[in-house]
Amino acid sequence: MNAIEIRNLSKNFGPKQAVCGLDMTVPMGAIYGFIGENGSGKSTTEKMICGLIPTSGGSIKLYGKDYGDEGVRAKMGVLIEAPGCFPGLTVWNNMMLQAANLGIPNAEKEVIKILKTVRMEGAAGNKYKNCSLGMKQRVGIAMALLGNPTLLILDEPLNGLDADGMRIMREIFTDIVKDGQRSILVSSHLLGELQKVATHYGIIRHGKMIVEMTSDELDASCRTYVALQSAEMNKTKMLLGCKYSRVEQDEAGYIRVYDITTPEEIVTYLYENGICVTEIKTDKIGLEEYYIDLMKEGR
Amino acid sequence: MENAVVFEKKSFIKRTKSMLKVDFKRLFLSRTFYIIVAACLVAPILIFVMTSMMDGSVSVNPQTGEETVIEGFDNVWQIIGSVNDPDANAENTSGDMAAMDMGITSMCNINMLYFGIAALVCIFVAEDFRSGYSKSLFTVRSKKTDYVMSKTIVMIFGAAMMVLAFFAGSLVGGAVSGVSFEMIGFNITNLVMCVLSKMVLVSVFVPIYLIMSVVAKQKLWMSILLSMMVGMFLFMMIPMLTPLNARLGHVLIGAVGGVGFGIGLGAISNLVLKKTSLV
Repeated sequence: MNAIEIRNLSKNFGPKQAVCGLDMTVPMGAIYGFIGENGSGKSTTEKMICGLIPTSGGSIKLYGKDYGDEGVRAKMGVLIEAPGCFPGLTVWNNMMLQAANLGIPNAEKEVIKILKTVRMEGAAGNKYKNCSLGMKQRVGIAMALLGNPTLLILDEPLNGLDADGMRIMREIFTDIVKDGQRSILVSSHLLGELQKVATHYGIIRHGKMIVEMTSDELDASCRTYVALQSAEMNKTKMLLGCKYSRVEQDEAGYIRVYDITTPEEIVTYLYENGICVTEIKTDKIGLEEYYIDLMKEGR
Repeated sequence: MENAVVFEKKSFIKRTKSMLKVDFKRLFLSRTFYIIVAACLVAPILIFVMTSMMDGSVSVNPQTGEETVIEGFDNVWQIIGSVNDPDANAENTSGDMAAMDMGITSMCNINMLYFGIAALVCIFVAEDFRSGYSKSLFTVRSKKTDYVMSKTIVMIFGAAMMVLAFFAGSLVGGAVSGVSFEMIGFNITNLVMCVLSKMVLVSVFVPIYLIMSVVAKQKLWMSILLSMMVGMFLFMMIPMLTPLNARLGHVLIGAVGGVGFGIGLGAISNLVLKKTSLV
């Protein structure tokens, strides 16, 4: 059984088609990274899954049942755009309101537990409006976690978090899905962070799913490259550019050769041309580069 | 792994109970509610004090030179309503005509509160949508009826509190400014029925304001504007349905109207929420 199964989903805003014929499958126990450019239809899709905007066509099934059926969405936790908190109320009161909404028994105990999970127990008395961006994001996650949801839908949950916050979030994500009964659909532009936790990916462009894959499939699809450094970087780049079709310099200062080759072949070639290689390694492109490549191909 | 997720169908009573709990909690945690109720308490005190100070003073129109004598309240109950005399209908002195009187004592009365109720309802509903609270609410609750029903009940309670606060403020204001408490043409039972009928009549206005609020969603200005415009059409009936010499019948009429408006307009609000974007 899949947590989410979407078939031929579409959404029109007047003449504009935000989502067209989208298919998506989120297996149970998956952390599904939902990736796409701004305006590609990610948030619209998420809002449709949550029943916040009506669909124009297609079907959405949650755990095999229609998403509109009574009680089906009751076990969902969401964080879409902003957490549903009242600015004038304290974090504690906001959480208690949500607990009351979900009809949680022993709400106080549950709220304390969740606040501890997101490391916000010390800020429970703070007014929501006085919380920092990162704290607000954590409160949003805490709100989504209330009621022990089986499906979490998180739109850009990593925005505004510091390094420690991101680490905590990764721990929370993996902890949630470890029993295999719960799933997370998470959209984020922080692809490096997403790659650390996601088990499945879906890449959307212009409202259409262009690729869906597991993290193993992504790993297999990611090209390997040879990265090197030398004493004369400009000359090296020029020489490699003459022999290989794709040579680029990355942010860390390494020259990358994406063609099918070996470090030995490159070292020999450069040595013959009077260049001494100081460092060389083979590596694989990450999700970010894979995504950028995919977007370039489509253009 | 199969059938691992169990979907619990909550009964209507359970759903309504939890929704009411949330909305009442929100109401009592909200500073806006206390500010509005406090304003309702203070407003009649200020009105009485100021009109007493201005009583008998003459204002002159600089263009025409016409002199107008400003009259204060003769009686505390004037701020609550007027006596509806069926025999006086022929002489055009019925409650609705009294409402047309543009004098300061007729303008500054409890009936103006029904516009204030629009502010209460619109602020609360707009806050739901502005804060993003509606997203988590409507994600887990597929039935929009829960929200409409609960919001209607809680806002009727809040609005009734406003009426009570205004009434209490009127008594204090009257006592402070030394205005007469004499009851002419009605008795204490009528007065209780009058206040009760005013409290019940809010149930006719709240569904109207609620429908405007769910149409406008986070656009507070729009919901208030729409509510005032539509509320204006029903404003004239307030003095007729809630006179100072009110009887149980007036309360019942208000209650029946409230139930009718609540169900009818509630269904429309429900439809609006179902068919439109909730974000």
